[in-house]
Amino acid sequence: MTIMMAGMFYLYVGGAVAVVFLVFGLGRIDENARGAWIFRPLLIPGVLLVWPLVIWRWVVLMRGEEKLDRHRMPRIRQERAQLVFVIVIPLILLVSFALRQDPASLSAPVLLEAPE
Amino acid sequence: MSVKYTPVQWNKNKWGYDAVLIALVVLYITVFIEVGTPAADLARPLDNAILRMRAFGTCALWMLTFILCIGPLARLDKRFLPVLYNRRHFGVLTAVVAFTHAMYVFNWYFSFTAQTTLAAMLASTNGFGQILGFPIEILGLVSLILLGILAATSHDFWLTFLSAPVWKSLHLLIYPAYALVVAHVSLGYFQDSANPVFGVLFVGSALGVAVLHLLALLKERKVNDAATEWVEACKPGDIQDKRAAIVTLSKDERVAIFRTGSSFSAVSNACAHQGGPLGEGKIVYGCVTCPWHGFSYKARNGRSPAPFTEMIPTYNMKLEDGTLYIDRKANQPGTDVEPIIYEVENDG
Repeated sequence: MTIMMAGMFYLYVGGAVAVVFLVFGLGRIDENARGAWIFRPLLIPGVLLVWPLVIWRWVVLMRGEEKLDRHRMPRIRQERAQLVFVIVIPLILLVSFALRQDPASLSAPVLLEAPE
Repeated sequence: MSVKYTPVQWNKNKWGYDAVLIALVVLYITVFIEVGTPAADLARPLDNAILRMRAFGTCALWMLTFILCIGPLARLDKRFLPVLYNRRHFGVLTAVVAFTHAMYVFNWYFSFTAQTTLAAMLASTNGFGQILGFPIEILGLVSLILLGILAATSHDFWLTFLSAPVWKSLHLLIYPAYALVVAHVSLGYFQDSANPVFGVLFVGSALGVAVLHLLALLKERKVNDAATEWVEACKPGDIQDKRAAIVTLSKDERVAIFRTGSSFSAVSNACAHQGGPLGEGKIVYGCVTCPWHGFSYKARNGRSPAPFTEMIPTYNMKLEDGTLYIDRKANQPGTDVEPIIYEVENDG
């Protein structure tokens, strides 16, 4: 129940951010969005899901704090993610294969009588 | 490129790509259901609802597997670049197929309660302390949320707004998403499936994805970490006309030296769009053209031709003893740099 309420709260805040950002904020930080309204509803799911990121980027762009790093790809981060990935995938398969039960070793199913 | 945003930037090639993709998905699900229907019955472990959730579930699994193969395949062999061209539409369709699978699961296993299906699922999961019997629906749900984030932030706007490095970092979520799917299937269907074909395909494809990523990683390890200001790059004659040589300055910075006849210019190897490897592209109509999505830049100043406004950093170069050197310090994006002129002899 707590998880559901937390999730709903997160989405409600995201909805409020989406309205303000898509109606008032977008045109101020991206000239290609000025006068372009049809594509904006497509952005709603993204804003709902990553609204903290949206607020952060919105503030950075409004303050003009963008840096040269914008053109530098996160190659080290990507390499590390890939390295973890190539280790984790075989590991998951290995564990699941080791734990796999032999259907023949399980007891046969029993058909229960319906209660009176 | 930098023009007014539209809901979907389709062109003739993307229409064709999407049409083939949708046709394949429809064909797979139709055949899966047609073949499985005679065995499906309410009185058996496999009924029609389960058959459909398996059809969409396995379809999403194969699609995600293929998507993850595209990147390393394109790094290892340029013939796969056309598949990379419209990978985002592929990803969005995968999220839709996975979502349909989840809807069948919710509406079959968690209906008929006073709660919502999601609340019923969360309330009924247990077994978190064990591996065999771990609630695989949670693994699937988290993976679906991650795929939803990737699909929802796939529009070009997000690339510009978040900046390519942040967008790329966010989209690294594809790795945990796939790992969760592999765990979801490994601890779920794989455990009680007596179908050897599925087992072999599943294990083979997941291992194949891991091996391809390993091979691509090994290919990218060549790094120039010397702390000098000028980095030795290559001989001018080493670069084919209208092509580039890629020089690695550090683990996260690469430069592409492009040659147009006797003129040599250096720009960042990362496209401003999605970080595509510009140095693997070529000069088309006088512009450096990204092999991934066709974004173009003038080699001497890193600017897209008008009316587009994208810019990438340029680099100063010098020629000494017949060798090109690159200044390690990048110029601001769009900075004009006089090209190095060198007549290449015996140019084949």
